[in-house]
Amino acid sequence: MGSIEGIITGFQTAFNIESILFVMLGVFAGTIIGMLPGLGPISAIAVMIPMTFGMDPSVALIMMAGVYYGAIFGGSTSAILLNAPGVSGTVATAFDGYPMAQQGKAGKALAIAAISSFVGGTVSVILLMLLAPILSSVAISFGPPAYFALMVLGLTAIASLSEGSTIKALISAVAGFMVVTIGIDPQSGTQRYTFGNVNLLEGLDFLVIALGLFALAEVCTLVLKRKDQSFRNLHNIGSLKLTKKDFKEMSGPMSRQSFLGFLIGVLPGAGATIASFIAYISEKKIAKNPEEFGKGSVKGLAAPETANNAATSGAFVPLLSLGIPGSGTTAVMLGAFLVLGVQPGPMLMTERPEIFWGVIASMYIGNIFLLILNLPLIPYFAKVLKIPRPLLISLVIIFSMIGVYAVSFNTFDLYMLLLFGVIGFIMRLFAFPAPPFILAFILGGMLEQSLRQSLTISNGDLMIFLTNPISSALLILSLLSFVFPLIGQIRKRKG
Amino acid sequence: MKKYLLLSILAMMLFFVACGSGENEEEEEATEASGSGSDSSDSEDVASDWEPEESIEIVAPAGAGGGWDTTARMAAQVFSEEGIIDQNIGVVNKEGGGGAVGWAYIAGFEGNPHKLFVASPPIIFIPLNGQSEYSYEDFTPISNLIADYAAFAVREDAEWDSINDLFDDMKEDPESITVVGASSPGSMDHMQFVQIAKAAGVDISKIKYVSAQDGGGLTQLLNGSVDVYSTGVAETVEQVRAGKIKVLGVSSEERLEGDVLEDFPTMIEQGIDETFINWRGFFGPPNMEADALAYYEAKFKELSDSDAFAEIRKQFGWEELYLTSEEYIQFLDEQNESLGNLMDELGLGN
Repeated sequence: MGSIEGIITGFQTAFNIESILFVMLGVFAGTIIGMLPGLGPISAIAVMIPMTFGMDPSVALIMMAGVYYGAIFGGSTSAILLNAPGVSGTVATAFDGYPMAQQGKAGKALAIAAISSFVGGTVSVILLMLLAPILSSVAISFGPPAYFALMVLGLTAIASLSEGSTIKALISAVAGFMVVTIGIDPQSGTQRYTFGNVNLLEGLDFLVIALGLFALAEVCTLVLKRKDQSFRNLHNIGSLKLTKKDFKEMSGPMSRQSFLGFLIGVLPGAGATIASFIAYISEKKIAKNPEEFGKGSVKGLAAPETANNAATSGAFVPLLSLGIPGSGTTAVMLGAFLVLGVQPGPMLMTERPEIFWGVIASMYIGNIFLLILNLPLIPYFAKVLKIPRPLLISLVIIFSMIGVYAVSFNTFDLYMLLLFGVIGFIMRLFAFPAPPFILAFILGGMLEQSLRQSLTISNGDLMIFLTNPISSALLILSLLSFVFPLIGQIRKRKG
Repeated sequence: MKKYLLLSILAMMLFFVACGSGENEEEEEATEASGSGSDSSDSEDVASDWEPEESIEIVAPAGAGGGWDTTARMAAQVFSEEGIIDQNIGVVNKEGGGGAVGWAYIAGFEGNPHKLFVASPPIIFIPLNGQSEYSYEDFTPISNLIADYAAFAVREDAEWDSINDLFDDMKEDPESITVVGASSPGSMDHMQFVQIAKAAGVDISKIKYVSAQDGGGLTQLLNGSVDVYSTGVAETVEQVRAGKIKVLGVSSEERLEGDVLEDFPTMIEQGIDETFINWRGFFGPPNMEADALAYYEAKFKELSDSDAFAEIRKQFGWEELYLTSEEYIQFLDEQNESLGNLMDELGLGN
């Protein structure tokens, strides 16, 4: 069967009433799950697996896919309003989204997030439809040396993420690297920094760090700076309306990051988180006014939000066309496929075109529905900020704890959350920025593993990073992103 | 007006909180609902007097979606749907430490006949690695249920056409060949390869092994970063059908049944007299009473013999391997000894 015929079958599958109903249900559930810090798409999809017994597999998978991208779409809300990124792909959203909310522009921030999510989601679905068969070769083209180089490129963001002291940003990043090594090392099987505690064997979950350093540290600050005027604005929601100027500012990041985010999403293991960070730094690098980033920049919010949604569609490339799950969520989806009697792999496209193309085609409907669902509800979501502060603060604490507990139903994680809340607050007191810490934590694991995999393969020869064309290109790019700002500074001094 | 809105938002949030934290309970209810329709006459055949008095919890010591989780959920489903056990059965995930977190949890319920857990070779590897203070000897093995086997795959265009070609090259130049698997050294994907390679006469201390999570192993094999992928049989089928990889050997005693699977040669027929079984079964907490043990043994036998479970085995490509508690303990002792020796030789032993 040709691709065109397959696409038509896909649209027929996606546009029947049952599929539309379930994609709506999926994205609605996904939005809600994404909004609540801590409840991620992984647990939501896992819970759904037994419910889908007996359902038509294409409909069931369309719904689960809806939960997945719906959660990334909705995840921005808590990051913007409460500085509590509940999904790792929305950490970068908080960098400019939360300052915007603090300035009394929460409504606008949510609108920007919704529109750029929609654009990123839709453009990437078009790319997915056009390029999925071709891109499967891109998805596997990255070996360990290339991943290492990609992580290095991601780490150049530390320089961009530091406000003020670069030394403090670096110290913060090193601490992040140290924390991510906790647990059993996959390459040797030995325990590192577990102190014989069985709860630390698996290492610390991303949520413990993100909710501790961001949400709980913010709560501490809010409590202690009660009389500070600058937080008054948090009660204002402001207008939802975006001006022409806003749209003009958003259009650049949206068009670029839809493509870049999608491409990064295609790589197994990279995903929405890395896509959003790379989007944020690349836009900051090319922006005319990079100093606005981190203080409520429209571009700084639009870029990661476009990229994380685009990456979500990209993640379906290896899953659907190769049967390779690139992330925890797609791994659970792979399990769901198997339970439904569908074997994802290179043969899926020709043998079950209604499933392959049906899931892809349903994403158009899902994304439109997400926009329709989210835009009118923004004023209501934003009213969360009108909740009296003592109540709001308690709610943030409760939600953070529930989110962390739901990861593995282990009370030990709650103590860790409190610990990182305190660490985050101390870091703020002494002006150590938290973003480099979380960036190092997110990238550090893969950086170390891919470095060691590469060196095992090459028997310790470092040349493997230069002989591999992808990794050498990425390493040169990383080098340039360091050198260019330096040259600029030198020129300024001379002039 | 605003107050009401606020109240309703709050109420909504609380509702979702309740939903989120109640995930497991919901599932338990779901299993209960699906099982309540069947009659209870079956249970009278059981020889022992003991009957479960409350709902049964099956712990999967890993996250949702993996092998342990799937086995536990499928068993719970058939127990309820076929009316083999009338009590509610809930599956609980206790993830961490490759199983160690779940085992530590179960160890705290000494003698409790309403807690079971699903186990497989890691309960031997991980204590041997020194990563868990509890081993299979601390628990009550009830019955083994299924078996899965290892497959060693290479790219379709690779120079090796049989497992012996590969092992010959590994004997000559071990530095040139890298093996990839999902688990860390000293656990499943590594040890299954080592066990077979040793039987073939390869110097196992020189095997280059890298660990890659989240589907990374297959990616690295396909893009040529590594040479051999040590994995489970089921993971290879689709890629073989698509003509991307070839399976040099599987670790079962005899050829497996089913499309594609039947084409995979065993190690034994290629002259390497060794097998590796990825067994999966159910254990109870330490010192489970004999009555309760006899009850579950009979129930798992009934499960294993049911058509519904045969269908599930077929769907997931598992082989039937039922062992009674006594057979199981003997089997585990043998496994423990041979794997322990292998680990000592690798310098991974505790």
